[in-house]
Amino acid sequence: MSVADNMAVSVNSNPPPRAAAPADQLVKPLAAVVRPQRNPENRRDLFATAVVVIVMLIAMEITSRYVPDYIMPSPVTVWAAARELFFADPYHVGVTLIRLTAAVAVAMSLGVLIGLAMGTVRWIRPYLKAIILIDTGIPALSWMLIAVFWFKNPETRIFFILLVILLPFYALNVYEGVRALPKDLVDMIESFRPSRWQVLRYLILPHIVPYIFLTTKSVIGYAIRMVIFAELVASAVGIGARMNLAQSTFRIDQVLAWTFFLVILNLVLQAAVNAVEKVTLRWRAEAVVR
Amino acid sequence: MIDNLIEVKGVTKSFGSYLAVDNLSMVVRRGEIVVLLGQTGAGKSTVLNLIMGTTSPNSGSVRVAGFDPHDSFKALKGRLSVSFQTDRLLPWRTAVENAELGLLILGVSKPDARRRAKEWLARVRLDGADDKYVHELSGGMRQRVSLARALAIDPEIVFLDESFSQLDHVTSGTLRRDFYQIARELGKTCVLITHRIDDALEMADRAIVLSQPAKIALEVHIDDAARADPARIAELHAQIAAAMGGEESGS
Ligand SMILES: Nc1ncnc2c1ncn2[C@@H]1O[C@H](COP(=O)(O)OP(=O)(O)OP(=O)(O)O)[C@@H](O)[C@H]1O
Ligand SMILES: [Mg+2]
Repeated sequence: MSVADNMAVSVNSNPPPRAAAPADQLVKPLAAVVRPQRNPENRRDLFATAVVVIVMLIAMEITSRYVPDYIMPSPVTVWAAARELFFADPYHVGVTLIRLTAAVAVAMSLGVLIGLAMGTVRWIRPYLKAIILIDTGIPALSWMLIAVFWFKNPETRIFFILLVILLPFYALNVYEGVRALPKDLVDMIESFRPSRWQVLRYLILPHIVPYIFLTTKSVIGYAIRMVIFAELVASAVGIGARMNLAQSTFRIDQVLAWTFFLVILNLVLQAAVNAVEKVTLRWRAEAVVR
Repeated sequence: MIDNLIEVKGVTKSFGSYLAVDNLSMVVRRGEIVVLLGQTGAGKSTVLNLIMGTTSPNSGSVRVAGFDPHDSFKALKGRLSVSFQTDRLLPWRTAVENAELGLLILGVSKPDARRRAKEWLARVRLDGADDKYVHELSGGMRQRVSLARALAIDPEIVFLDESFSQLDHVTSGTLRRDFYQIARELGKTCVLITHRIDDALEMADRAIVLSQPAKIALEVHIDDAARADPARIAELHAQIAAAMGGEESGS
């Protein structure tokens, strides 16, 4: 099977929606007035999710009785496959997770640096902006093919693909964050006649932290899809590679099992980022909008 | 020692074609409390920015302690501070962390800055809220933190840009008296910017009324003898109100 065929399997490379500037979340004069509350929506959401999952499982089970196994296996078969994969192949899960974490961490660091440079160094701004604009216009697919031409090492390929795809999100959002700095606060800190480094440390860096979280939350699902995609193209190990193998050996139960696992992984990672955010941004008033 | 801490000479400032400050000259002496009055849009904040050096005049000269505050921006580090109209606290810092900000920028060591910030918070009577975040503080408490932040660096000159005007009357009254007492005790040079005539009559050695565009419409000296005499105060009030052009706002 050729690379191009594999690409056609999942053309879900539409980027996540650009994060809205959380500036008004930061400066919420009302926030102090609104009393923080336990969100009753959480429980309702959980219930709705459970209902949807159960309905889907029932639908799968019913369909599986009328169609052959290679079209739709029963949830029981998928569950068995999932257990087998998970206990037989934890190595592949680990590899994918490490690739994902490393790429996100580097994209975050570089993206923050580029965003800060765009926001604070006037003459660099148009150049970096142009680069990022061009980058966001390049389809993920092109980067994958280019990576295959440019790099021999599969790890380099995957890392490169993820980096060029994720970097612009961080850079642009951090840039927006710097631009959204309230002028009042800039004037305030300037009144103490600080060094540039002090302005960065006391004002700009803490101000962009929420933007970094926002970006991470909005790219995480996309990053998971992309790492799988990249592994399918460029590597023999990792979840993407295993899914490729499952497909070529007609094991739809395994494909579904991996899919199921990826959905869970996305939820877990989102929850983890949310938890870290909650602790880091505890200074923010929790407003309940009715 | 320079006696005229602030010297503004023939300063003109325009934004595009809009003339905001028109050939303004004024002096503030060491230890004086000067109130700058004027209607909204008169150019009071612009004058403050010129003295702070965050903007530069089109013509004329500004000297603060002998320095050009714009061209020698860093030379005045630690010598001026401002308590702004709004509290301008950093939301990710607690009350005490906000109060110590100026000290940290001046390079005071962390424990020292923390200790001094705490002392100042006590002094402006913010009790038991040192470790609260900004959103957990009331408007009056925030102003107290902002005041502590400005005073903690022990500047020679303190500016207050209508600081307490957003608060209710009682809160702003007590806060203003606290500030006045501290300023007098420490012998600080103060410039208060406001549109409230009462502020001026209550605490100033001198009141300068700006017309629009900013130039001096009236300058009066006020002392304790005048403050003790209701008739004199009423007369000054009327004079200032007339110079400000129509009814006083915000009082
Ligand atoms: N950066 C700027 N660009 C353009 N115009 C400005 C700028 N700063 C001030 N102005 C104009 O200069 C005039 C004086 O403004 P300033 O803020 O000094 O008034 P003020 O006396 O402090 O008013 P208030 O009492 O409402 O605070 C206003 O008409 C304002 O629109
Ligand atoms: Mg003003």
